[in-house]
Amino acid sequence: MAIPVIMPKLEMAQETATVVEWLKQEGEEVEKDEPLLVVETDKITVDIESPASGILAGVRAGPADVVPVTEIIAYLLKPGETMSQEMTAAPPPLSASAAVQTVPTTAGTRATPAARRIARERTVDLRTITGSGPHGRVQAADVLTSTITPERPEQAAEVIPLQGIRRTSAQRLTASYQEIPHVYFTMRVDMGEFEKTRAALNARDPRVSITALLVKAVAWALKRHPGLNSTLRGTEIHLLPEINVGVAVALEEGLIVPVVQHADLKSVAEIARRVNELVTRAREGQLTPTDVAGGTFTLSNLGPFGIEQFTAIINPPQVAILAVGATRPEAIVSPEGQIVIRPVFRMTLAADHRVVDGALAARFLVELREVLENPTLLLW
Amino acid sequence: MNVEKKVDLLRQMYTIRAFEEKAEQLYALGKIHGTMHLSIGMEGSAVGAIAALRPDDLILSTHRGHGHCIAKGADLQRMAAEFMGKATGYCRGRGGSMHIADPEGGNLGANGVVGGGIPIAVGIGLSIKMQKRDQVILCFFGDGAANLGPFHEGLNMAAIWKLPVVYVCENNQYAMSCSTHKAFAIERISDRAAAYGMPGVTVDGNDVLAVYEAVSTAVKRARTGEGPSLVENFTYRWRGHSKSDANIYRTREEIESWKKKCPIKRFRTLLVKEGALMEAKAKQIEEQSYDAIESAVAFAEASPEPDLESIEEGVYA
Amino acid sequence: MREITYSEALREALRQEMQRDEHVFIIGEDVGVYGGAFGVTRDLFKEFGEARVIDTPISELGIAGAITGAALTGMRPVGEIMFMDFMTLASEQLVNQAAKIRFMFGGNATLPFVMRTPAGSGTGAAAQHSQSLENWFVHIPGLKVVMPSTPYDAKGLLIASIRDDNPVIFIEHKLLYKVKGPVPEEPYTIPLSTSEIKREGQDLTIVATSVMVKRSLEAAAQLASESIEVEVVDPRTLKPLDAEPLIRSVMKTGRLLIVHEACKTGGYGGELAALIAESEAFDYLEAPIVRLAGRDIPIPYNRLLEYHAVPQVENIVAKARELVQGRI
Repeated sequence: MAIPVIMPKLEMAQETATVVEWLKQEGEEVEKDEPLLVVETDKITVDIESPASGILAGVRAGPADVVPVTEIIAYLLKPGETMSQEMTAAPPPLSASAAVQTVPTTAGTRATPAARRIARERTVDLRTITGSGPHGRVQAADVLTSTITPERPEQAAEVIPLQGIRRTSAQRLTASYQEIPHVYFTMRVDMGEFEKTRAALNARDPRVSITALLVKAVAWALKRHPGLNSTLRGTEIHLLPEINVGVAVALEEGLIVPVVQHADLKSVAEIARRVNELVTRAREGQLTPTDVAGGTFTLSNLGPFGIEQFTAIINPPQVAILAVGATRPEAIVSPEGQIVIRPVFRMTLAADHRVVDGALAARFLVELREVLENPTLLLW
Repeated sequence: MNVEKKVDLLRQMYTIRAFEEKAEQLYALGKIHGTMHLSIGMEGSAVGAIAALRPDDLILSTHRGHGHCIAKGADLQRMAAEFMGKATGYCRGRGGSMHIADPEGGNLGANGVVGGGIPIAVGIGLSIKMQKRDQVILCFFGDGAANLGPFHEGLNMAAIWKLPVVYVCENNQYAMSCSTHKAFAIERISDRAAAYGMPGVTVDGNDVLAVYEAVSTAVKRARTGEGPSLVENFTYRWRGHSKSDANIYRTREEIESWKKKCPIKRFRTLLVKEGALMEAKAKQIEEQSYDAIESAVAFAEASPEPDLESIEEGVYA
Repeated sequence: MREITYSEALREALRQEMQRDEHVFIIGEDVGVYGGAFGVTRDLFKEFGEARVIDTPISELGIAGAITGAALTGMRPVGEIMFMDFMTLASEQLVNQAAKIRFMFGGNATLPFVMRTPAGSGTGAAAQHSQSLENWFVHIPGLKVVMPSTPYDAKGLLIASIRDDNPVIFIEHKLLYKVKGPVPEEPYTIPLSTSEIKREGQDLTIVATSVMVKRSLEAAAQLASESIEVEVVDPRTLKPLDAEPLIRSVMKTGRLLIVHEACKTGGYGGELAALIAESEAFDYLEAPIVRLAGRDIPIPYNRLLEYHAVPQVENIVAKARELVQGRI
């Protein structure tokens, strides 16, 4: 019996994946668990291992083909076995991504003719737009508000198709920003003690980044305020049993958020090692689906870029995100009433106001400031 | 009727016969599109009736209307061209065999709907009367039409308003396959005239002079404002109803018996016997008629097809 | 300007045209001394006599034949069929004869006649005296179909129809006969095949015919109080249709509601919807094209049932609101 090779489903919400390349040719022998092909999802690029040993045959989806998950994309034959008629039937690709690059495929997207016309005129991919009409139908106004300025055709702009990570981010961020009532809270933190602690830890290996230590502090505060480590399901707030802190990493292809699982249970060293590993893998395109799954809270640190203060958009189904700026020396008034120069940063919490009210957010931020200003509390 | 006119009637009858025989040949050769309804054997009715009209009088014809058209003075070339669907035809190829119309010559159209002309004749009669013109409208229809509602509405309206209409029923004894014996409980269709308060008369439709006399009386009555009449020409069609008719509803003997009553031979014999015509002259008329059709068909065959770009012309004025 | 009823406007058009052109005459059942079943031809008999206001027997096919034959030979008759339902009896002559004669004759004839007839429900006359059969005739090449919705349009369109060289089916509405509106005294024409924007608006286009124009305008007035600005377009001539104003309106508003009284299935609304879908206005649609039309039932006798058999103002308001509020 020939064994089918299917396009694997790698994540819950995934409907399709794109073939990047086959690592074996048709007719070539392949061992079970040997890398067979590379596929790309909206989030990651992964090697798919062969489900069995055999001879690769009946490849139905080539590079750049978008294939629904669970569809058969090839067969593995035993020596002497041949393809049956059934196996050669019905090619599965939804579309070739080569076509996607030039004309966005909008079949299946609910949109009014007017929205489609405007999207065509302005080279907007309708799939990136959240519709405000009945059944999520994209209306003309949705397209108009999604475009910043209309391109002037005579000054043909460089067109970068919204794809992969960036397309997914665009959809999620738009949906988040439109659906979630965001509320923001900013707090200034004296980072003197934090810097000292980090310097002390950095005497050892691995080196502890500000981000790694922040993850630890955030997890510590979340443990004490589970309302921010929750998710909204219908009319219920679910307080999540795990604290998995996502760390936003900027890549050329877009923003990706690898996750430090069980951040509250890990030591600073473990977190530091994990963050370093995730960032490196992200930059090398080596993240696996589990690396990016299961986040319950997100930390975005633009301090290294010199940003002092900013707001971030919540990453659903999470209910909050913390945006952290750069640490700078500032003149502040000490508790003793003296003007002193201290290293200070500003952190801004964006929270889903349906779940998080101002008092909860304030209590969380106060607790977080306390642990940042007095890191020994992490031992508590 | 003077001799000259009688000879002309014979020529008309031969021309009709020649046209229809040629039409049959062309159909057999696959040169005619659609179908046609031949009046071979009924020429006396068409020619006798129209002979009673003035040139400025009007007629409404039927699906079996080639004879009416020729008797009303149609140009054979334009008629043949229409028959072949050509741009030079009377209707620029839009009408065909069943809809040949020559409004300038007073032929206000053959009609594809049985009885379709009967109510139109009311309007034409009304129009003539209101415009105080001195014309008559002669409306042909068959025995089948006499059983339609429009026959009742039309004859009644023409009668109550004393319109200058002459209704001529060409009773060829079959409405397609349905014989008059099956379709009427009366012997003479003309008896129905009494129901509308108009005169009705039945004549031998194969006697061109008898038809002429009866219709002349009706025309005179119409023209003098006395109102419509119904003239029934009792005749027979030799051919089937249309080209798709296998003639299974009547016997060969019956058809042959009516061929012996050919209205053309009968009139020719009469004219020769009367001394109005020498046999040689009669033969010449016959041959000339067939020749005229040949040249008309040659004209039609050489004529262009209608321009496709003109396809929508004539829908609206 | 002086205000007169729709019925009076029609009568004035007939009178002025009969005064202007002796070829114009009226023919129909009870059009003479009775003045027509709905009184449109009242008193014309006195002015023009029975020779030009001709009472016929109950012979609808005969009337249709009479105007066909008369028009073919130089007259400009105006026929009347008492109820549009009886156009079915006249339709052989209208559909097979009048509509086709000019074409069959290779363009070698004209048939300048008007056949007037009242359509519509709302009078309790039930299934055989309440139909709106305009689309039967819209479907026939060679016929023109006109449906005036106001007294002003009634007069101008009837005069234009009488002067037109084609067979015109002129469909009046029983409920409009007593509606008053401004009408100039002098004769004037409204060219056939000119659609009119009866009310301007930005949010929604309603294309309506006959009495539904009146109901749509009432609905538009109500919706204006909710800041919904409806554009009401009246085709006036259904065939041949002046499509441009409809297309432009839909391009402006992006939403189309079609309202007519005739049964929805096979009704004129389907034609309009298809027209817009095929036009450049398609790319401007912000919602599905919606038809609000008579139910697919014969008109019932019972007052309540009859009322709910065809669109009413409140139905138009509700449907318009749904469309504009993005619920469809």
